[in-house]
Amino acid sequence: MTSLTSFLLLLFTAVAQAISSSGSRLLVVLEDVAEKAQYSKFLGDLEGRGFEVTYETPKSDSLNLFHLGERSYDHILFFPTKAKGLGPNLTANLLLQFINAEGNILLALSGQKQAPSSIVAALSELDIHLPSERTGLVVDHFNYDVTSADEKHDVLLLPTPGALRSGVKDFFSPATPNGEVLALPQAIGQVLGNGALLTPILRAPTTAYSYNPKEESEVLGDELFAAGKQLSLVTTVQARNSARLTVVGSADMLSDQWFDAKVKKAGGKAAVATVNREFAKRVSGWTFNEIGVLKVNWIEHHLNEEGQGNQSNPKIYRIKNDVTYSISLSEYEWDHWAAFKVPADDDLQLEFSMLSPFHRMSLKPTVSSEESTTYSTNFKLPDQHGIFNFKINHKRPFFNNIEEKNTVSVRHFAHDEWPRSYAISGAWPWISGIGATVTGWLFFVAIWLYSKPTGKGESKKTR
Amino acid sequence: MAPKKAQASSAAAPVVTTGTTTSTAPAVSAPSKKSSSSSSEAWSNVATNILKHYQKTTPQRTKLIDLFMAFLVVVGGLQFVYCVVAGNYPFNAFLSGFSATVGQFVLTASLRIQTTEANKADFPSVSPERAFADYVFGSLILHFFCVNFIN
Repeated sequence: MTSLTSFLLLLFTAVAQAISSSGSRLLVVLEDVAEKAQYSKFLGDLEGRGFEVTYETPKSDSLNLFHLGERSYDHILFFPTKAKGLGPNLTANLLLQFINAEGNILLALSGQKQAPSSIVAALSELDIHLPSERTGLVVDHFNYDVTSADEKHDVLLLPTPGALRSGVKDFFSPATPNGEVLALPQAIGQVLGNGALLTPILRAPTTAYSYNPKEESEVLGDELFAAGKQLSLVTTVQARNSARLTVVGSADMLSDQWFDAKVKKAGGKAAVATVNREFAKRVSGWTFNEIGVLKVNWIEHHLNEEGQGNQSNPKIYRIKNDVTYSISLSEYEWDHWAAFKVPADDDLQLEFSMLSPFHRMSLKPTVSSEESTTYSTNFKLPDQHGIFNFKINHKRPFFNNIEEKNTVSVRHFAHDEWPRSYAISGAWPWISGIGATVTGWLFFVAIWLYSKPTGKGESKKTR
Repeated sequence: MAPKKAQASSAAAPVVTTGTTTSTAPAVSAPSKKSSSSSSEAWSNVATNILKHYQKTTPQRTKLIDLFMAFLVVVGGLQFVYCVVAGNYPFNAFLSGFSATVGQFVLTASLRIQTTEANKADFPSVSPERAFADYVFGSLILHFFCVNFIN
């Protein structure tokens, strides 16, 4: 009976873990709780993945991001609201505190509703800039949907984003891209600063531009906010503590209407289905720590020399020792830990450093199991004694940061650890020099003693 | 035995002097004509004279010392040439090998000074036996040090 209950308990914990790697409490902020019907498929997907969803409106008194100094929720999902501000419970400062407390935020904005001022302020803290007066509509006269926006050209049809650059894993495209398109209706574009923590997922095509629909001028000029690749439509920020924030420029792309819509590109022949649902799953999954999460299982280093103790993680090494360093890493994939594979054209690097690195080398995968990969390398410690660190500082777009430091002392040679001179072939001539001197001296003494009586007699007699 | 030797040396002495006189005479008489050949001849004569004189007058143990010192010079020179040609790694081996030879040379030179008859007046209190005992003691210390240092 006890074994059965413990088994059930184990099963329960296993089921409970089959969600995000950092908690399942999700807060959804809507203008009106009834609005959730509009996003039922997206929210249903989230609940199906194991999130405990709480729906709140910004005006609600019971809404509190923190309780007794701890986060009340693990993740927040914002849908567009009509109100200019979000009230005292969702100020920009509180949102940034939430990120500092390692909470994740998914922010859906819309070109039709003004972005709340607290969100604009929080975003500008992160170097993401929205159009002035918090409204802007992205249009593209070449990549629009003919069926729904034949006149306004404000439903953008874009291919799936693909990898950001070589060496970066592509998290956001479907497993087998087949020419599907993403539909972004009434999107608001963001302009990004130079921050190293900012990574765009989806940029606007070169022919797109953002304008303020409330300006009633015939000619676009000074009021043009940004154009082309300057505009980011889906932007991510990963803070130094690996908290994630994603800005989705078009909230409508998450709605039921556009999940399964058939769209037809301008100049295109047949209507095709959008991949919004898959894209929404991946973007929300990344934001809520379901993918792209790395974990260090263990770190081990030891001497790699024959005839020496093979103790794990010793506190002290000697200069010029051969050392093996291994690190085991796992990557979270939706509901389980899997082996982490470094993307092609990328490296996992180890530094052996005292103030500055003395060695920087890439680690190679040695042992791979279903749940983890062990990366290791062998190297010779530098000819310098002192306090050193084995340091892994792996910061890559879309992966959470890994910063591991293991401190060891490196001592100099003990007086009896130097090699004997007869072990060094270069010293043999000098060893034989001493040998020749000593044997020559022995012969000399022997002959001297043997010949002495004659010499003495001679000297006596000559005297 | 001693009278014989003394006789032999006294008999040899005139030969040497006559030899020198005969060889130098033509060089003096014709310096301008064959100066180079005659001078080299003269130099070789000087060398053979020195050699003969050395062989005649030097006691046998001093010759032994000289032979040993020449041997040390050769051994030390070889070690130094090896260091220049092949590099000084490991340096302690070079230092101890070379200094063993040089030190032995210096000690042997001291022994030679102290045991030469002509220097008797300078060391009235040091008998040749005492000098040799000192020499053996000093050499043993030197060898001990060098073998330790070469590790």
